Amino acid sequence: MMVCLVMSVFQAQAADPPPPPASLLSINPGTDLWREVRQRDGEIEGISQVKSPGANVLVNVSGQSWREYRMQELVPKAGAAIMIVLIIIAIFRLLRGRIMLENGRSGIKILRFSTSQRAAHWTTAILFVVLSLTGLTLLLGRKFLIPVFGAEGFSNIAVAAKFLHDYLGPVFMLALTWLFILFVRDNIPSPKLDLQWFLKGGGLFGKHVSSDRYNAGEKLWFWVASIVGLAVIISGLVLDFPIFGQTRATMEFYHWVHSVSAIILIVVSFGHIYMGTAALEATFEVMKTGYCDANWAKDHHDLWYEKVKDTGEPVSQTQAQASPAPGQRQSTEPSG
Amino acid sequence: MASMKFYCDAERCIECNACVTACKNEHDIPWGVNRRRVVTIKDGEQGERSLSVACMHCADAPCAAVCPVDCFYTTGDGIVLHDKDICIGCGYCFYACPFGAPQFPESSAFSSRGKMDKCTFCAGGPEEDHTSEEYKKYGRNRVSEGKLPLCAEMCATKALLAGDADVLSDIYRKRVINRGASAFEWGVNQLKG
Repeated sequence: MMVCLVMSVFQAQAADPPPPPASLLSINPGTDLWREVRQRDGEIEGISQVKSPGANVLVNVSGQSWREYRMQELVPKAGAAIMIVLIIIAIFRLLRGRIMLENGRSGIKILRFSTSQRAAHWTTAILFVVLSLTGLTLLLGRKFLIPVFGAEGFSNIAVAAKFLHDYLGPVFMLALTWLFILFVRDNIPSPKLDLQWFLKGGGLFGKHVSSDRYNAGEKLWFWVASIVGLAVIISGLVLDFPIFGQTRATMEFYHWVHSVSAIILIVVSFGHIYMGTAALEATFEVMKTGYCDANWAKDHHDLWYEKVKDTGEPVSQTQAQASPAPGQRQSTEPSG
Repeated sequence: MASMKFYCDAERCIECNACVTACKNEHDIPWGVNRRRVVTIKDGEQGERSLSVACMHCADAPCAAVCPVDCFYTTGDGIVLHDKDICIGCGYCFYACPFGAPQFPESSAFSSRGKMDKCTFCAGGPEEDHTSEEYKKYGRNRVSEGKLPLCAEMCATKALLAGDADVLSDIYRKRVINRGASAFEWGVNQLKG
């Protein structure tokens, strides 16, 4: 104690105010221990006889932030994003109604998609719908489906959803790659034309805008689907194969990537699905049969029409009869 | 209403792993699944300490919050249990848990993990008490027999305590007082030296 008193008197002369006693300057080993347990200075690993990923870490610090992300950000915002996009589409429908061909059908059909392009499109589309529905089931089912089916009923649905999601994910990777290869050629941006298309709002609220084989909106969807799709696929593979010793922080990060990119794809796909089915007359049949009506091509893809108008062929007799009055359709679907 | 808790005294744990072994034996837990583990910090250095950790039966359990099928429930004693018939083995509870408590019997491609398994505070599960189904899925139900978890009962140094939170904190407070407020004493020792 004498030493201490002498020390403090000496220090008090040297500096003002006097420093705290030495016992407070030294770090208490107990404090040190709990700082390490709580990982205050970043993740500190101990050792454990149990040898599984993360077993040597006492406290998983990233768990809480992942919980907050999933429960307070992802679930409400994903639900809101889906609702908002559906409402926007409904408003657009009310404003514009069904957009008809300007001059009706021409009776001449033009080949637009090859059989392999349609096969790639529909394989990817069906997988996308199944993966979206199963993914949304796992994300939002607790909130919306447990009240309907009960905990045990929903558990059976969730088991099936997880199984389909985990096994079809890698298949989606192959399908999207196939789709990309078949469609990339005509989706290369052509800056002047595409900029013009965007400046005129894609003709959504007025007259048709000049466009080649694919308009800028279609190109945008192609590149969103490809690039964001790549993020979904890579993150999905990391989550689907937890056999390489991934840590919890790794899984949480890729879950974040997977969920954000998947929600982007889902909401943008609503626009694509609406435009491809109910929004525009004579559009769904193009991807269904591979052929488009010449007047449809003139309306929506005038520059492309100029290139291919000589390849048009008359619609067969049964189709021509069926077209004006779909209710009287007798024959089978066109073979395409 | 009781609130059941574990407490591990870092000044007493000697990393003997008897709690881990007792747990595995009592509940007949498969290879690769560890409901309890001992972690040593600063192994071989000054200030080395060990702690035995398992499910801490949180009041606001992160596992229960993130579970996509809502398979967790808290008993009247504050014990967090789950229903293996509802669990789909997604692994989300493991990501959220601060303590690494949720365990999975498998770890294979296509995210196959099997049903989650974790410490039950020796309180079984939603099945009827003392049935073979309960034992197979959740292990022994000691709480219904008026006994405490075996890991704590077996602990040779009484480092690991289990029971009502109020009782545990009383025990621990007395220990700290009897140790002579070690942190303060440590400071005095520094001055002497």
